[in-house]
Amino acid sequence: MSVNLRQQWLHGFLDVCLLCLLAERRDYGLGLTQRLVAAGFDEIPGGTLYPSLVRLEKQGLVETDWVPSATGPRRKYYDLTAAGHEAVADRIGSWHQFRDSVESLTVQAQRARAERLG
Amino acid sequence: MTPAEEWSRRLDRSLIELGVEPAEARRLTEDSHEEARGAGADPSELYGPAAAYAVRLAQAVRTPQPRLSTMPAGEVVLRLSGVSKRYGRHTVFDNVSLTLRAGEVAAVVGANGCGKSTLLKICCGTTAPSGGVVERTARIGYAPQQGGVSGFLTPAEHFRLFGAVHGMGRRKAVSTGNQLCRRLGWRPRSGLSAARLSGGTQQKLNVVLSELNSPDLILLDEPYQGFDQDSYLDFWDQVLKWRDAGAGVLVVTHLLQDLERVDHLVELHRSEDQ
Repeated sequence: MSVNLRQQWLHGFLDVCLLCLLAERRDYGLGLTQRLVAAGFDEIPGGTLYPSLVRLEKQGLVETDWVPSATGPRRKYYDLTAAGHEAVADRIGSWHQFRDSVESLTVQAQRARAERLG
Repeated sequence: MTPAEEWSRRLDRSLIELGVEPAEARRLTEDSHEEARGAGADPSELYGPAAAYAVRLAQAVRTPQPRLSTMPAGEVVLRLSGVSKRYGRHTVFDNVSLTLRAGEVAAVVGANGCGKSTLLKICCGTTAPSGGVVERTARIGYAPQQGGVSGFLTPAEHFRLFGAVHGMGRRKAVSTGNQLCRRLGWRPRSGLSAARLSGGTQQKLNVVLSELNSPDLILLDEPYQGFDQDSYLDFWDQVLKWRDAGAGVLVVTHLLQDLERVDHLVELHRSEDQ
């Protein structure tokens, strides 16, 4: 699958991915990028990641905190607010519905293809 | 000045040009700078070019505009009762009804040629219906699909002209117009006539002209044709902001995405499909 298409897809789902990562634990920007890569996504450019985080903060779903570091410059940590935790539950439900719809179409298409070839 | 400082200076200036409040622009710039330092990266590596990053950040922080309409929420701003349009024996559409209230969004959908633009012209009063009743509020804004702007005039001249129609002073019209442009992520250059703007930017001008007079009802005919993807997202943002500001918004579209955000759906069918 082309990197371009994967990036477009992730773009649409980035908010929900970030909310889920933060539901697990609070993190700073670079940490979130690394965890997205660990989950199997391509590395997401900072120019895409940070505006999404700013938007979530503006929506009141995420709060930030500058934390001093023993080894280097201070880091900005992102964490869910109470409204953010509610939003996670809500979006997981929506995602499941959406995933099931796409899945049912792909299964139908595969079946049709198998019949045509078989 | 180090490259990182130079980048930050450019980001700050671009954010302000895009209409972000100077205090907020400074805060965002300092945070971006600091965050890059924390990541041990050069800002241009982490975020890309400052001007492009500014566009994305400005979209992320754009705040809702203050209440625009003077209408009490829930007041009916447009009512169509059994509206039809015929040309000779050909029926374009028949029996269309809609009640649109202040603070609501309605979409008119349907294939090409099913009369969407005609219905919008009937709503704003430039075309007469063949049957049925149209009631609407006095203060409306209308962005037609074509021909809303004049190629010889600059954006500022458009604002003065349209402002004069609404009884606004010249200076007030221009400053309001420029402010509305920035909400769509566009800063008009002075002296550039509309003919020299791209198609998408001309449409933005069209949209801005339709809301110059803080209307209670905004009628838009596929105004995002020619918008790029980001502006398209901005546009729906803007529609929801108008709604939240208390206006009723009617949008003609052939795109079916985003329809979950609208309160009413008017579906037109080609007459041979009926």
